[in-house]
Amino acid sequence: MARFLLTFGGVLIGLFTIEMLKPVQETIIQPFTGLLAMLSTAIILPFDDSVIAQGKVLRDAATGFAVSIEAGCNGIEAAIVLIAGIMAFPARATHKLVAISAGFIFVQALNIVRIISLFYLGQWNYSVFEWFHLYLWPVLIMLDVLVVFALYLSWLGRHAQAIKEY
Amino acid sequence: MLLRRQFVLTLGLMPITFGVWYAAGTLFAAPAVWLCNAILSEAYPALIDSVRLGGVDMIARLTIGESGGTLIAAKEAGNQIAIEINTRLVSYSIAFYAALLMASNLEQSVYKFCVGLFWLWLSMAFGLASILGKDLLLMMGPSFLNSPGVPPANLLALTYQFNVLLMPTLAPVCLWFWQLKGSPLWNQLSGDIARAATSR
Repeated sequence: MARFLLTFGGVLIGLFTIEMLKPVQETIIQPFTGLLAMLSTAIILPFDDSVIAQGKVLRDAATGFAVSIEAGCNGIEAAIVLIAGIMAFPARATHKLVAISAGFIFVQALNIVRIISLFYLGQWNYSVFEWFHLYLWPVLIMLDVLVVFALYLSWLGRHAQAIKEY
Repeated sequence: MLLRRQFVLTLGLMPITFGVWYAAGTLFAAPAVWLCNAILSEAYPALIDSVRLGGVDMIARLTIGESGGTLIAAKEAGNQIAIEINTRLVSYSIAFYAALLMASNLEQSVYKFCVGLFWLWLSMAFGLASILGKDLLLMMGPSFLNSPGVPPANLLALTYQFNVLLMPTLAPVCLWFWQLKGSPLWNQLSGDIARAATSR
């Protein structure tokens, strides 16, 4: 348990520090955040053709309302927590790699739902938007991370059982 | 099955715990603000005059004021700058933690909640201090960084990101996981963990 906590804390702080470095922000984080805005726009466009993506900003051409995807809203922090959890737990490297890849996609899929929901909530009611943006969505994203990690542990257990029986 | 029950119940309980948290915002924020006052008086003794709670906002009065767009000592300026910080930005961790804990139906849950609450107040205090550090950096710039005891700008940014964007959701999960020991869900998870560890 102590080893898990130490590795978890070390990976968490290490990745968090790396994420904040200027070159990492410029070459990875900001382009990735722009990609999230583009993906969100691509999903919305078939239903609403007034939405446009400008860098990390999602804008409604008709109303002028816009949301900017900032640090803490791009799902990177949640993904870092998940990666730290997976890295800290003893398992085969291939299992870790699969779990990190699948988990990252799972977290980002929910994050796109968050971005799109906030885009429409903001146009509907600003108080509700604030509630969801500041309090509810961060909790739901962390709950998503927890579900993925618990499923990973459960899958590892079942996989080990299957190998034992074989 | 137990996992599904845990997550479905957590989601079901969240409207209740968030409702209680929102209604009693001042009550949940007060201990964190007191702790933050202690942290700030140690961290920035030359800058902070007082820290108090006003509704759900933490109000930090500075020892500096403003005159003609310039920041000078409050006595010379004849006024005092106060910074208001919404404590709900960090205190929602309590509502999340309560939902996680209640969904697990643990023994001695009230006692465990009180222990967890203490740790969350400590985490909230650091979160509030980090928000104030970020606000002071944006407002004062180099003169803040040159004040005694103030860490470098990069460290201020890192602690803000960590204490404000991450800890309000991570701390409840860590506390809940720690307090889960001995419960049926813990037994199921530890069984999976033991099987996985032996097959490695």
